[in-house]
Amino acid sequence: MTRTVILGAGIAGHTAALHLRRMVGKEHEIVVVSPNSKWNWIPSNIWVGVGQMTVKQVTFPLAPIYKRKHIDFRQALAFELHPEGTIENDKPYVRIRYTDEARSGQESDLRYDYLITATGPKLNFGATPGLGPEGNTWSVCTAGHATETAKAFEGVIAKLKGGERQTLLIGMGHGTCTCQGAAFEYTFNVEHELVKEGVRDKAEVIYITNEERLGDFGMDGMNFGHKGDVIPSQTFTESLFQERGVKAILSAAVEKVEPGVAHYELVDGTKGVQPFDFAMLLPPFRGVDMQAFDRDGNDITGEVYAPSGFMKVDADYTAKPYEEWKASDWPKTYQSVRYDNVWAAGIAFAPPHQMSKPRTSPNGTVIAPAPPRTGMPSGVIGRAVAETIAGRIKHGANAKVHTASMADMGAACIASAGKGWRTGTAAAMTVFPIIPDKEKYGEMGRDTKATYGEIGLSAHWMKVMLHYLFIYKAKARPFWYLIPE
Amino acid sequence: MSNLTTFPNAPQPTAAEIRARKNVLIQFARFTVLNLKMIVMVTKGHH
Repeated sequence: MTRTVILGAGIAGHTAALHLRRMVGKEHEIVVVSPNSKWNWIPSNIWVGVGQMTVKQVTFPLAPIYKRKHIDFRQALAFELHPEGTIENDKPYVRIRYTDEARSGQESDLRYDYLITATGPKLNFGATPGLGPEGNTWSVCTAGHATETAKAFEGVIAKLKGGERQTLLIGMGHGTCTCQGAAFEYTFNVEHELVKEGVRDKAEVIYITNEERLGDFGMDGMNFGHKGDVIPSQTFTESLFQERGVKAILSAAVEKVEPGVAHYELVDGTKGVQPFDFAMLLPPFRGVDMQAFDRDGNDITGEVYAPSGFMKVDADYTAKPYEEWKASDWPKTYQSVRYDNVWAAGIAFAPPHQMSKPRTSPNGTVIAPAPPRTGMPSGVIGRAVAETIAGRIKHGANAKVHTASMADMGAACIASAGKGWRTGTAAAMTVFPIIPDKEKYGEMGRDTKATYGEIGLSAHWMKVMLHYLFIYKAKARPFWYLIPE
Repeated sequence: MSNLTTFPNAPQPTAAEIRARKNVLIQFARFTVLNLKMIVMVTKGHH
């Protein structure tokens, strides 16, 4: 009998838990540790943030699903990793602190044979003074944040209807943010709602971003194949901004946010301020700040985790300039560099570098979009890790190691630009591979036949379909496993 | 000085393209095509 502990119940962790349960017998224990009691389909939070969905529609309690699937669920936060155990007992363990009402604050040690770290990101609002719901901006990173944001947005609409002009600032709250896609979606959903409410003419919608150009999305841009031609994602995105009357501040690192004013620096060193009445700015991400100790109790955090707090895995972390980055730098197995029974899945692994060219202002401010690791690759990685562990459990140490390199994987992304069965719009994008590979695909870096973008109502229908499909899957309803990640 | 950027040179959809983006029949056909494209992408993404 073995015990696999999975830290985190987001897309990567939950996918890994369900697949592993399906692949190994019930005599093998699976324990999921998550500080949250509910699962959240994060891509739909943008709709919660404009009042078009409720928290109930994008979340559900995890405990009943895990009970039904014979998975041990601990609502707790893992904060220490002891991958070598102790001198007295060399079985590795994680130290957890319960967050549920009954055991809140209690600590315990959880021994494991295999460990998957799928802790996702820490929302690092602290990186920019005044950023976040406890400061002067709103967020859609969690369903709870999005609900509060929707209330504030409702207030903006009321003021607009009362004849007051309003400036809405949406985008990146720091020079190293990722998830430009989510900010893009929220921008256009806000714009769509303003049109629906008949107040668009009184509102200024501004997108502020650390991207060098629109359509970069932290992926160094894309080139969409279209009828034998190639359309850069920059053109595709600029076209939508112009069509919908949204202005942008590009290459910006937001430095601080005071009530009603965002202060930023541009990549050329220019400082600027942008007044606003409503701001939804995303935070940068970092790892969840777990500490690691060896069997003697020495702190080995720096060997197990990168300075960003994400776990170091089988990637090439050698520092090198943008021109020398290779697709092969990216991890394949997601196994810890130091422990062969520990993996990091989804956002929890430390990427070897960005995808977009990092830039620094003359004042030394880093303006570099972090690489996105969206739902699809997170799910695929979670599944691959679960398959590797299942193989180990069944066949021993020499079992097949499953791989899921983002340099060899495509992704599909539906970016909503407004909700409504007849009036909705979204941009459907496919990209292959996720990591640009200039050795294989030349300067474009990607297969332009498989990299594709289209805007229309059909893409909106697709986003709605995926919402229900993935929640069905996450609830482990009959034949859930037939739905791909 | 304002750092706000607009994109006056970005290509704009024609009236026919905008109509097509909202036409239910055309979009139903596009929905089918998009699903097929996604299936191809998902297949490429799984090992």
